[in-house]
Amino acid sequence: MKALLILLALPAILLPTACLLYILYQALPALNWSLIAGSDTANISNMSSAGQALWHQISGSLLLMMLANILAAPLALSMAFFHALIASRQQKMILMTFLQVLQGIPPIVYGLCGLILLVHLLHWGISLATGAVILAIIILPLLSSNIIHALERIPAEQTEAAAALGMSKAAIVLRVWFPLAWTSMLTGLVLAMARSLSETAPILFTATVFSGIAWPDSLFSPVTSLQTHIFYLAQEGSNAQAIHVAWASAAVLLALVLLFSLTALFLRRYKESS
Amino acid sequence: MRNKIFILLVLSGCFIASLSSLAPIWFLWDTSWPFWSSYGISSLWGTEWYPFESLFGLLPAIVGSIWVLIIAMGVAIPCGLAAAIVSSEILPASWQNLLRVSMEVLAGIPSVVYGLIGLWVLLPWLQQHLGLLTGHSLLAAGLILSLMILPTIMVMALDALRLVPAEQREAAINLGLDWEQRLYRVLLPQAWPGIRTGMLLGLGRALGETMAVMLVVGSMDRLPQPIYNILEPAQTLTSRIGREMGEASFGSMHFSALLACGLVLALFASLLSLLAHRKSKQAHP
Amino acid sequence: MRLAPSIPNHSPPISETNKPEKVCIEVHKLSLQLSGKPILHDVSFTIPSLGITSLIGPSGAGKSSLLRCLNRLYDDWKGNISMNNTPIKKWHGGADVLRQFVGLIAQKPSVFPVSIAENVTFGLPRQQRQQNQDELIQSCLKQAALWNEVKDRLHTPANTLSLGQQQRLCLARALALKPAILLLDEPTSSLDPLSKELIECSITKLAISMPIICVTHDLDQAARLQGQVVFMCDGKVIETGESHAFFTQPKRIETREFLRWSVCECAED
Repeated sequence: MKALLILLALPAILLPTACLLYILYQALPALNWSLIAGSDTANISNMSSAGQALWHQISGSLLLMMLANILAAPLALSMAFFHALIASRQQKMILMTFLQVLQGIPPIVYGLCGLILLVHLLHWGISLATGAVILAIIILPLLSSNIIHALERIPAEQTEAAAALGMSKAAIVLRVWFPLAWTSMLTGLVLAMARSLSETAPILFTATVFSGIAWPDSLFSPVTSLQTHIFYLAQEGSNAQAIHVAWASAAVLLALVLLFSLTALFLRRYKESS
Repeated sequence: MRNKIFILLVLSGCFIASLSSLAPIWFLWDTSWPFWSSYGISSLWGTEWYPFESLFGLLPAIVGSIWVLIIAMGVAIPCGLAAAIVSSEILPASWQNLLRVSMEVLAGIPSVVYGLIGLWVLLPWLQQHLGLLTGHSLLAAGLILSLMILPTIMVMALDALRLVPAEQREAAINLGLDWEQRLYRVLLPQAWPGIRTGMLLGLGRALGETMAVMLVVGSMDRLPQPIYNILEPAQTLTSRIGREMGEASFGSMHFSALLACGLVLALFASLLSLLAHRKSKQAHP
Repeated sequence: MRLAPSIPNHSPPISETNKPEKVCIEVHKLSLQLSGKPILHDVSFTIPSLGITSLIGPSGAGKSSLLRCLNRLYDDWKGNISMNNTPIKKWHGGADVLRQFVGLIAQKPSVFPVSIAENVTFGLPRQQRQQNQDELIQSCLKQAALWNEVKDRLHTPANTLSLGQQQRLCLARALALKPAILLLDEPTSSLDPLSKELIECSITKLAISMPIICVTHDLDQAARLQGQVVFMCDGKVIETGESHAFFTQPKRIETREFLRWSVCECAED
């Protein structure tokens, strides 16, 4: 029995790790500074644009992520404060169920709806703004429930003690809750950032183009992003250079996502130790 | 006064948030309405999908999605559960923590990266070992998905097993139950609500996953022939939306049909997360 | 002596004739280390085949660890423990079979989240669980002095019981395996007075037919239970003796110190 379990568990433990190592193995030969920063020798006019510097894709991804989080954070905070301060027991339950259901809806569905409303009905076109709004809606339930859980971990005595001093709700939030819960709230935000960096499908047809964009001129112009870049390159089977760049982009994207998720882990440890 | 402004701010933020979360669902319904009204619910079991001939049968994609889910869960549940049991009951605690952290990190790997691995590692391998034409198949999609949802299932199961109190384990030992009996009669029944939640969440994630599936499934709009043939290219709901979203012109029946796919997908996914939510509430009364 | 009046006079009628088997426990030079820390040091004593043996001593003396060695929950000790002249390390069938032979009741009751009746039969092998076990359940619950309280709701979840009832259920659950020895690890320390009395009463009755080792920090309890007393301190056995003699005329100076100190403690409460 034990042997059978270990036999079954081995692929579960080893395969994902092997995948990570394989990506590194494939990416390392292609990964160098000129690939990321761009160089004179890179052939920009190359049809596959595989020679293009990854810098533009990286900045595009980060831009989308930042905008989405800036949009989503205040809304998520107000949801969390509503949950913690105003909502009745029943309203809390409805809110939590609502958030759970929203988290379950596939991101591509949001992408579709964004395509209808933002791209076509509001005429924003394929643009940075469209992508940011769609990503914001996707991470909103995740971010809200993360912050709600962070606030729930504050001991009730603290809040009661503050309320007993006659502090207003705004003052309780600012002077009691933020100092107590900022690390866990930040952890939630960082996790949402990692999530918005890894979403690909919803921005594929709503925010990004393959190449030719260095830096978006305005909110309403398209961007390039790492995620979609990998997708386009992956399909260029005939072009060995493109595949190399795809692996390199995957490694860079992984590094970015891991940076955020490890930061979140570190913050949680820090919170536990202090 | 300040208090009132604060509460007003909070309430308006909530209003915007719920509005922006609900609006997509309304648009999903509104835009897919032309499709439902002209083709009716029977298109759910129509077997032909040729947008240019105005044939919109959803069955091939639904069957494809179901097959992919069955394969993914069939691989991920036994492996994930076994990994959770091994790490919580056999490995020492320090290993356990390391494993949990790395699984949590792996759960965050972007799906497009898995797609890349599927396309350039799994497909050639399948091609070689099963003698397939290209390797694009439901099997490939299912295997890649199982890799993606493994960490979710494992972390949830591990947490559920770790929540079983040490006293319960000890009481079972004191009754002279051996390792297997303790596992079957004490640990698994008590951890079951958490394990089930993890499975349902994994199922939901697998259902909604687009990029990885899209890259390896082959996007062939037809029923598998025969129905259990999982080695041929096929189509799932998500991969269809992903593939054709950019092609369909806005306002056309094709676009409306894609929205209908999205609606079916969203309904299934909400159902799954509702189920997961209900069970997890029972776990912590 | 303050303890003397609280000794009840229901001395167990030890009859050597009607017991099924004689189980005699011998502990010889038992030493135990847990993560490098010495817990037990050269512990040796014998336990008679009938009656109660109370293990007393200050907290941290290694009493609970000693019990856990006796059913091989801690299996990494040196020395020898034998039951019925069989070393328990070489027990036929391994540790799991030994633990069915030696019932252990923990300090904190932990019932399984199934019905009361299923809890009683939890440790039985599968075939026996599938048969009708009403008689066994009834007799075990009666022995544990719980039957009257739960006879109408045998199929309700066990965690609806009070803590004291749960502890008696744990006793019934251990008895269902028909153990030859019972080990009790401060079984009443967290319970209400009524449950405490009921449990003491049932173990006194059980001691007629089997050896019982009871760890306790409650000297009154050790005196009430009568039988043999083993006094431990810092992982060593300091003194053993028959309870009346032990409490009235302790031989060793450490024992006297401990008794005086404990009595002062009690008086202060």
